Amino acid sequence: MATTNEEPERDGLFTFLSRRRFLKASLVAGGAILGVGGAGLLALRGRAPKVEKLQVLDAHEYRTLQSLVAVMLPKTPAIPIDAAPMDLPRAFDGFLADEPEHNVKDLQKALVLIELGPLVFDKKVTTFSRLGVAERTEHWNGWAVSDNLLRRQVSIAMRKFFNLVYFDHEQVWPHIGYPGPSMKRAQGLTQ
Amino acid sequence: MTGAIVGLSKEAAPDGVIAEICIIGSGSGGATAARLLAEAGHEVVVLEEGRDLVGTERTQRDAPMYDQLYMDRGGRASHDLSVSVLQGRVLGGGGVINTCDVVPIPDGVLQHWAAKYGLEDYAPERFKPFTEDALADLSASRIPENLVNFANAKLRQGAEALGLRGEVMLHNRVGCRGLGTCLIGCPIHAKQNPRMVALPKAVEAGARIFTRARAVKVHKASQELKEVEVRTLDPGGYHEQNEIKVRAKIVIIAANAISSPQLLLRSGIGNAHVGQNLMLQPQLPIIGIFDERIAAFDGIPQSYAVTEFEQEDNVEFGLWGFRIEGIMGTPGIVSSLLPFSGASGMEGMAQYDRMAPSLLLAPDAPSGRVEVARDGRLTIRYTQRDDHRARLRKAVESAAKVYLEAGAREVLVPTVAALVIRSAREATQARQLPFAPATAPMLSAHQQGTVRFAASERDGGADLNGQVYGTRDVYVFDSSGFPSSASSHTMTPIIASSRMLTTKLLTRI
Repeated sequence: MATTNEEPERDGLFTFLSRRRFLKASLVAGGAILGVGGAGLLALRGRAPKVEKLQVLDAHEYRTLQSLVAVMLPKTPAIPIDAAPMDLPRAFDGFLADEPEHNVKDLQKALVLIELGPLVFDKKVTTFSRLGVAERTEHWNGWAVSDNLLRRQVSIAMRKFFNLVYFDHEQVWPHIGYPGPSMKRAQGLTQ
Repeated sequence: MTGAIVGLSKEAAPDGVIAEICIIGSGSGGATAARLLAEAGHEVVVLEEGRDLVGTERTQRDAPMYDQLYMDRGGRASHDLSVSVLQGRVLGGGGVINTCDVVPIPDGVLQHWAAKYGLEDYAPERFKPFTEDALADLSASRIPENLVNFANAKLRQGAEALGLRGEVMLHNRVGCRGLGTCLIGCPIHAKQNPRMVALPKAVEAGARIFTRARAVKVHKASQELKEVEVRTLDPGGYHEQNEIKVRAKIVIIAANAISSPQLLLRSGIGNAHVGQNLMLQPQLPIIGIFDERIAAFDGIPQSYAVTEFEQEDNVEFGLWGFRIEGIMGTPGIVSSLLPFSGASGMEGMAQYDRMAPSLLLAPDAPSGRVEVARDGRLTIRYTQRDDHRARLRKAVESAAKVYLEAGAREVLVPTVAALVIRSAREATQARQLPFAPATAPMLSAHQQGTVRFAASERDGGADLNGQVYGTRDVYVFDSSGFPSSASSHTMTPIIASSRMLTTKLLTRI
């Protein structure tokens, strides 16, 4: 029986970010990426702590996602659950491991754009992960309401994934008044 | 003949499958055809890309269920992410993940199709027996009053106070215990869907069903036979494993109005209409937030609809206007639709048990197309029309007034930026909603129109028998054929239509 190396053709959350659109968005935003140049960008990102056993993401991408989750899903009086121990970036890494290659590439472009967002969109010579929490929150909130379609799309894609996974965690449920899956509840009642 | 359900991710794929009829897709259209053809003594093979996920494997948890029950792991969307495209990818198809709404094609729409598109078999009197059979397949009944949950009751309370027409909906559940997770599968199989009705009967009559079997191309093998190129998938359904060929005299494609034209385009089959005329029927969520606990996650999530504003016989478009239908989801999916991030998102979700959400359903005219690139990548290109935006604005205003009348503290329209309505006067702000691309969490559960049935090759992609123009014995039996929106909910129309088309096919083979 013949085998095939062809990946499944799938549309998905991250396929909107083609190379052409990524470059166009970056250029429209001020050409900052090209202006600073590749070496300068690398220096700007600095070193990221090593992370063990990632399947797809590298340490820089993992750090970007950590920084993102911290502002997307903060511990608050309403829901005093810290997302950090859930290691949502690793869940994302696991998700990507089973995605088609073109989706993975698109997502990695999105992560570069997020990390360089302060430079590209706000003209600040720093990166997303280096911003303080308040500044990073303000910057990220700007993506959702941006006039730039690409930024809104990245915002939607990230929200869809991380909210879905975070709110699927049982420790969150008591704080939103959700008693959990009804079958488990029914079983609990009969035990 | 011995029928069986065979999971090709685990069991060895048979070498060189030959059958009289190969059906691609196991949802409402494919399962119905498989059952009728097998019961008539024909040799049938069904190919399904999803797996057979049943009973307590349906864990009622967001992340694994969207991953396993939906196409693209729940991430399928239109090209600019403006519309999430909900498409089943499991044995039994969309019927496994829908909210069980039984809404036949209204007579006004049937008359419209017969008059405007020449679909004479769909004229009300001729089509009526097929709808009746579909209703019997579904064990259709009115949702009992005691299963209308508190959120839907609030919608009803507000509508009745305002004198708006509405109804407790028909459904296809038997033995429902109101577990509340219809969108991610019913663990007790209360849904009388294709997985529980048509497919078991098809197997009993000898049909062979292959799961984790992705059809990637159909081509001519000889004068008489077609060959379907199939890739088997790993247990998670993520990666392709092996390739098998299925040869058949007749190929029936019923893989949904996205995947059916995708397969035809990839195969180079059909005329220029294939993939065109896409209708997504986008729905917009809106949420009434109450001071009291609503607990909408318990009970049937969609049981009441405000039908006051629906029009079934628009001269130009057939089904038109809009409906307001109660809905609820598990925390993950609800949170992913809210327009908040950070602390405001947490505050929003802290009100989860006080939410009474609805979907604003407005039928659309053809507004998009399905494209397949040379490398096989799918694009669902869709642009919302101005008339659709206008009706959604009216729907938002109306729904907000309904919830406020029912005692909601506020009504959240989850657009970016969010609109919060606290009075009937504020509801008029809905008239200014721009609905720019990727600013509102629109959902599509009723994709239609991409291989339009038409009496002439000039006007559509398939003929009145569902046979794809330019082919012999390659058919489309799903919602791809509907020339305009069939109904607010497409399961019943697809079953009835597939029954009619299969009955016609049986007279010719």
